[in-house]
Amino acid sequence: MFKALLNALKNLFSAPATLNYPFVSSPKHQGARGLILFDEPKCVWCLKCEEVCPPGAIRFTQDRESYAYTYHYNPYLCIYCAECVRACPDKAQALSQCSELSRPTSDPFMNDAWFALEKEAEDSKEAVKELKKAKKTEETPQP
Amino acid sequence: MKKTINIPLGSQHIALLEPVRFSFTCENETIVGVEADVGYVHRGVELACTTTFKFKQVGYVVARVCGLCAIIHSTCYTLAAEELMGQEVPRRASYLRLIANELDRIHSHMLCLAHTAENAGFEALFMRTMKDRELVMEAQEAMTGNRVQFDYVSIGGVNRDITTDIEALIRQRLGLLKEKVGEIKELFENNWSLSLKYKGVGIITAENAYRNSALGPLARASGIDFDVRNESAYLPYGELGFASVTMSEGDIHARNMVRLLEVFESIRLIESALDGLPEGEIAAKVRGTPEGESYMRVEAPRGECFYYLKASKGQYLDRVRIKTPTFGSVPAMIEALKGANYADAPAIIASFDPCLSCTAR
Repeated sequence: MFKALLNALKNLFSAPATLNYPFVSSPKHQGARGLILFDEPKCVWCLKCEEVCPPGAIRFTQDRESYAYTYHYNPYLCIYCAECVRACPDKAQALSQCSELSRPTSDPFMNDAWFALEKEAEDSKEAVKELKKAKKTEETPQP
Repeated sequence: MKKTINIPLGSQHIALLEPVRFSFTCENETIVGVEADVGYVHRGVELACTTTFKFKQVGYVVARVCGLCAIIHSTCYTLAAEELMGQEVPRRASYLRLIANELDRIHSHMLCLAHTAENAGFEALFMRTMKDRELVMEAQEAMTGNRVQFDYVSIGGVNRDITTDIEALIRQRLGLLKEKVGEIKELFENNWSLSLKYKGVGIITAENAYRNSALGPLARASGIDFDVRNESAYLPYGELGFASVTMSEGDIHARNMVRLLEVFESIRLIESALDGLPEGEIAAKVRGTPEGESYMRVEAPRGECFYYLKASKGQYLDRVRIKTPTFGSVPAMIEALKGANYADAPAIIASFDPCLSCTAR
């Protein structure tokens, strides 16, 4: 009881345990989990990251003419689990995790835009598949 | 004239942490009847696990069932899924899982202790416990990269390795914590005003606890030595010499003491796990898809967490059933509240450490 009283008195004059946050930045641990960074030249377009991402924060759309993929990332959906980084093939290493930033710097997607993009990602891949099929049947001579 | 009066407590109430609703039937100040409603935060996690997410992703989904025992849920799911797939796990990964699980138990228990102190009107002890809890949060952050949602366990092993720096940091933080928890324990034991609020309040006898299927610290405070860590070798607890903690009084004080002593036990387990950490890989290559049925029990901070899985070789599971400790303990809670003073109800409820987001899923 007396010890507690003594502690209380001591605490009255000691510095606060909390940080003066906006003016003092909070300490960061090495290897803290943040945003996923994408290095496009390294990508081999295997789409493994899209497949494993639990919340579906990575989507690829495909161009209907050149068949080229485009990478899209929604930082608001991302849970920073880095499953995509582990799924990325060893040869490519196109994805990495940023340990400084967990907050998106720009505002690229609002919800509706992302929903439209999710649909586009599925539709475009489906469309390209159809196109390729059609082309193949055109090329092979009919018996 | 009616002799009793009905007083609702919750679902939103300043003394409650979680959206649970109790309806008390009181005779003067004494509670004679209790009704509980626990379904306020239903999110449909079980269905989502079988329809929207593939089996490799479900581990991350079930971690969102509960913020306090996130790693317990993902460990339990992963162990059950590994059993279905016949997946082998490296020994180092098992040890790392154990360390993460025990760190989680410490921070959950400290949060509960803080809130029981707050609900008994001891605000300063609440602040102090939360401040000391920061030590274990830092250790978790260093180990897993996040403070609350760890996403540390995946099928086949764990996601991150532990470096010597991190090991040193965990040891240092736990050393400090041991001292601080010792001081808190002294306060809980010897403080006169706390003993008025805690001793002899909200008693569950051993027989009642057994009949009403109390789990976790609730049962162990009543003298029932029931701990999944003792009964099943899901993680290498046996190799580290785990000893469960029991008390016999069954009141709030006994529950607090069980939690405090379990914090010490967890610290000891982590330290000896770090001492004997085996070398090797942290994750094995995952092969195949799950098939068949399996169930797994894991000791969560609040008691036994139970998972049932059914799968038929597809990417999606057929059924995921989650049974959480709070849900199992609701009848025992009702039993403990009967006969208590209405004014003691918030402190009694806080001492159960109910986790409603687990319960309602």
